[in-house]
Amino acid sequence: MKKPSEIQLMLQVQKGNKLALGELYDRYSGALYAVIIKICRDEGLAQDVLQESFLKIWKKAGQFDPDKGAFYTWAFRLCRNTALNAKRNKKDLIQTEDLSVYKNREEPQNNPVDSEKLKGALSQLSEHHQQALKLVYFEGLTHREAHQVMDVPLGTFKSYIQQALRELRGIYKTSIISIILMIGL
Amino acid sequence: MKQEIKDILESGLLEQYLLGDTTPAQDAQVQGLLKKYTIVREHFQQMEADFERMGLEQAVAPPISVRKQLMQTINEKETDPVSAPTSKSQKWYLPIAATLVILMGVTSFLVFQKLQGVQKDLKLVEEKNEQLQSSLDQMTTTLLALETQNKLMGDPNTQKYLLKGNDLSPDALAVGYVNHKDRKVVLDARQLPDLPTDQDYQLWADVEGVMINMGLVKKEDGFLAMNYITGAESMNLTIEPAGGSEHPTVSNLIANVYL
Repeated sequence: MKKPSEIQLMLQVQKGNKLALGELYDRYSGALYAVIIKICRDEGLAQDVLQESFLKIWKKAGQFDPDKGAFYTWAFRLCRNTALNAKRNKKDLIQTEDLSVYKNREEPQNNPVDSEKLKGALSQLSEHHQQALKLVYFEGLTHREAHQVMDVPLGTFKSYIQQALRELRGIYKTSIISIILMIGL
Repeated sequence: MKQEIKDILESGLLEQYLLGDTTPAQDAQVQGLLKKYTIVREHFQQMEADFERMGLEQAVAPPISVRKQLMQTINEKETDPVSAPTSKSQKWYLPIAATLVILMGVTSFLVFQKLQGVQKDLKLVEEKNEQLQSSLDQMTTTLLALETQNKLMGDPNTQKYLLKGNDLSPDALAVGYVNHKDRKVVLDARQLPDLPTDQDYQLWADVEGVMINMGLVKKEDGFLAMNYITGAESMNLTIEPAGGSEHPTVSNLIANVYL
């Protein structure tokens, strides 16, 4: 039996089907958690954000429109925004409570193992493409913030992102053809 | 219209939209373009699929407790207890109601048990079906691969080139299949000697003295689809640091063949 697509699952979630939400969670929580944890840099906070994000997916399911983009695109944005807000609120809270502590606690170091290690096709990209995607995908930076971090003009940075996504396409395309040809033998 | 589509694809707007870095006005603009142009939509969907695949490759499994808590929160929100009003006049039928509740409870439990059994069976059938589907997919893929391979090798427009190793790597042998008409290049890398893990083979096309990257050659992949380069005068195989280089290390050129 073919697995239901994420669009079919979201239609079910819109009708209040909890099992469908569970299935979406099982499929995508790992990918989304990877983004959240790299933005939050704090395991405890990241877990809260992941739960909060899926609660939002549950509550805001009606806003999902497949014509505007895929489920993962929608969920990625939702999780990234939730993570950025949570991180901002936490910083504000710490700052209000005790300014002297803030400096030391700005970036808690209890990062999970391997959170910085890139895997799969992303690790095969040219270094500057890798860095560009990392900044917008994992750090949650806007193009305007990220080009300053990389110290290149905004236009160049946009090209990096474009080229990075094209390079990804090339890697996936080549790997598919190689697999097909390899199996063929 | 073609120019307009080309401009859209090259503007970087779709990439910004994908990454959620657009203003509401730009969102509306992109959504309009996706509706209007099939090519733009297909391009964007491909980009989304790659983006998703990249995301899944980076996955970090969250602790199981998060899922449990999530489902618990959703369940709690739906089943808030509601206290029922009681009065003295209703007391006489409370024992009957209690008996009925117990009976219903027992019946529900039995039905629930039966349902669990049925669900378990259903899950088994679904799993079996998934396995069958997976085998079918694999067989279809194999068939497609064979067809593609046969088509390329049997095509009279496909030419075969031997890349024999020089003194640097006398045992090396790779076979290139080049089809100029369909602009396809496939390399049989199975007979290349193993390399240390910090090195990779890389194929280059010589176009008027400039070496252009045709792609990395992973021996373990066997047959590889390489980039077709227009105007290539020869194919050249080098040994590069793992992951490949932007320019060929000429001193590590182990084989070349004129096209």
